[in-house]
Amino acid sequence: MSVFKRLKALFTGAKNDVIEKNSDDKVLNQKKSDKSADLRPKQTDSNTKNEKTHSSESKTPEVNKVDKTENKVVEDFETPNTEKKVTKTKIDVVGVETPTVSSEDEKSEEKVVGEDNELKDDSKDDSKNKEEKRDTMTLLNENEKLTLKNVDPEFTEIFKDAGIDSVKICFQCGTCTGGCPSGRRTPYRVRQLVRKCLVGLKDEVISDDALWMCTTCYTCQERCPREIKIVEIVKMARNVAAQNGFMAPAHKATGSFVIKTGHGVPINDATMELRKRVGLDELPPTTHSHPEALEEVQKICEITGFDDLIGFNKATGELE
Amino acid sequence: MEIAYFLGCIMNNRYPGIEKATRILFDKLDIELKDMEGASCCPAPGVFGSFDKKTWASIAARNITIAEDMDSDIMTECNGCFGSLFETNHMLKHDADMKNEINEVLAETDREFKGSIDIKHLAEILYNDVGLDKLSDLVTNPLNLNVAVHYGCHFLRPSDEIQIDNAEKPTILDDLVEVTGAKSVPYKDKMMCCGAGGGLRSRDIDVTASFTKEKLENMTDAGVDAIVDVCPFCHLQFDVGQTEVNKMYKTEYGIPVFHLAQLLGLAMGLGSDELTLDSHLIDSAPALAKLVTESDKITGGE
Repeated sequence: MSVFKRLKALFTGAKNDVIEKNSDDKVLNQKKSDKSADLRPKQTDSNTKNEKTHSSESKTPEVNKVDKTENKVVEDFETPNTEKKVTKTKIDVVGVETPTVSSEDEKSEEKVVGEDNELKDDSKDDSKNKEEKRDTMTLLNENEKLTLKNVDPEFTEIFKDAGIDSVKICFQCGTCTGGCPSGRRTPYRVRQLVRKCLVGLKDEVISDDALWMCTTCYTCQERCPREIKIVEIVKMARNVAAQNGFMAPAHKATGSFVIKTGHGVPINDATMELRKRVGLDELPPTTHSHPEALEEVQKICEITGFDDLIGFNKATGELE
Repeated sequence: MEIAYFLGCIMNNRYPGIEKATRILFDKLDIELKDMEGASCCPAPGVFGSFDKKTWASIAARNITIAEDMDSDIMTECNGCFGSLFETNHMLKHDADMKNEINEVLAETDREFKGSIDIKHLAEILYNDVGLDKLSDLVTNPLNLNVAVHYGCHFLRPSDEIQIDNAEKPTILDDLVEVTGAKSVPYKDKMMCCGAGGGLRSRDIDVTASFTKEKLENMTDAGVDAIVDVCPFCHLQFDVGQTEVNKMYKTEYGIPVFHLAQLLGLAMGLGSDELTLDSHLIDSAPALAKLVTESDKITGGE
């Protein structure tokens, strides 16, 4: 019988698992009395849990809502629209459970069926349990959890409007992070960033220092099986960060060099000497030799608002 | 043949030997380099592109219009400049809305982006337009050096737009380097970034140094005499950055750094003075000494 059960568990796989998570602890304990049958489900349990946590990052926004519903975030839904979604979600959850109920052995079947009527309340309790479990898995504190309140749909639109709509076909395979030389030494995670941009977690994205740890080396983009313009996404996210005041003083300084001289790296005395020594003009034929050309660059920076972006004071000729 | 020569910042304002070598090389190749009077910073793709796309594209487009007025394609020997100018040129040629937006800005400076020219990298011109045969004719002093070729990032990527060579396993630079008699030695993670780009060098130099250290480690393991790059910013990172790595990690790396133009200069018999190798923080002497020893072997010290 136990072999048969294990086979069944193999075939029903994840579904079998969902049940365990969704039925209460008593059922679990009862099952645990049968140790041989227990080993496998227990393992798959953690696997599925992993999958679940992953999928909360890797699904489309709607599916994401489903995941959040399970996590007690129900209270956070405010608009009638999302309210509907909640109900729909619950039906989905029931849908998943029903077939597995029938595949359970008799003892637990009784229990589960008995509880079937109160399934809605139950799923809330379960989500509490699951959430506690997830807490220990993810090490997230209460205030680190993201809810729909963190989602800014306009942020996602920025990427679509900028012609980087390839962001929406990301299936979160992680090839990008896997090849990222920055990710090997910094907290920068490209896959996560792309996902956050798509979901619209604006504050998460722009306030994160790691956003600036990308060297724009394009390794991620070259290897992306979906051919997503990842570097464009990173740069656009940085544009938004800069607009919102997240710009390092060192970067503002580089910007100010271009306004002041037309060059990000202006000439210095030592190089002027070197140039003269090898028979080049002391100053290159760039904005360094052409003040009127520099004025053009300055005008461009004024029109596009780059002055204001970096806080360049035209009167003093310095950064504020 | 003639071409508009885009200088950028770091080459002309820090390593003028690269510019000098290029001018001599192109003189010998009978290709006229036409100065782009009043050109500015490209501006750097990962830096200004990260700050404000519109400003980045407008300044880049302004630079392009200078060459459009000269009716010449642009040549640059900096990956960053190449990235900015190529990407902007490509974008404005394919995106009418963006082109209008940028032209509205440029109109204030009496300029207009037309989309009439192409942007080319030095290595691309040497490989495709000049050819390895013609280049090898110029080699008077074959270089018996083992070098680590560093491609950099913005030279070949994004490859679906740039299409010069395979971005993961390219050969173009190795072929060009080997024309001089030097041997391009394979090393681990050859295509990895030097770490300077994307505004990282100015903002988080520790991270940048960590990139560079990994590259230097891999190059050292392969036993190279020098690093060859095609980007003054990578060049600066391997030169100045190498001393920073040594300070931070208490290491003693001392791999000489040559830009491709400087390497070709050496092969054409130019002196280290002319190539301003003496201004490098990392001493080129070990590599140069090896060259002298090798040539002594051939000439018997004559």
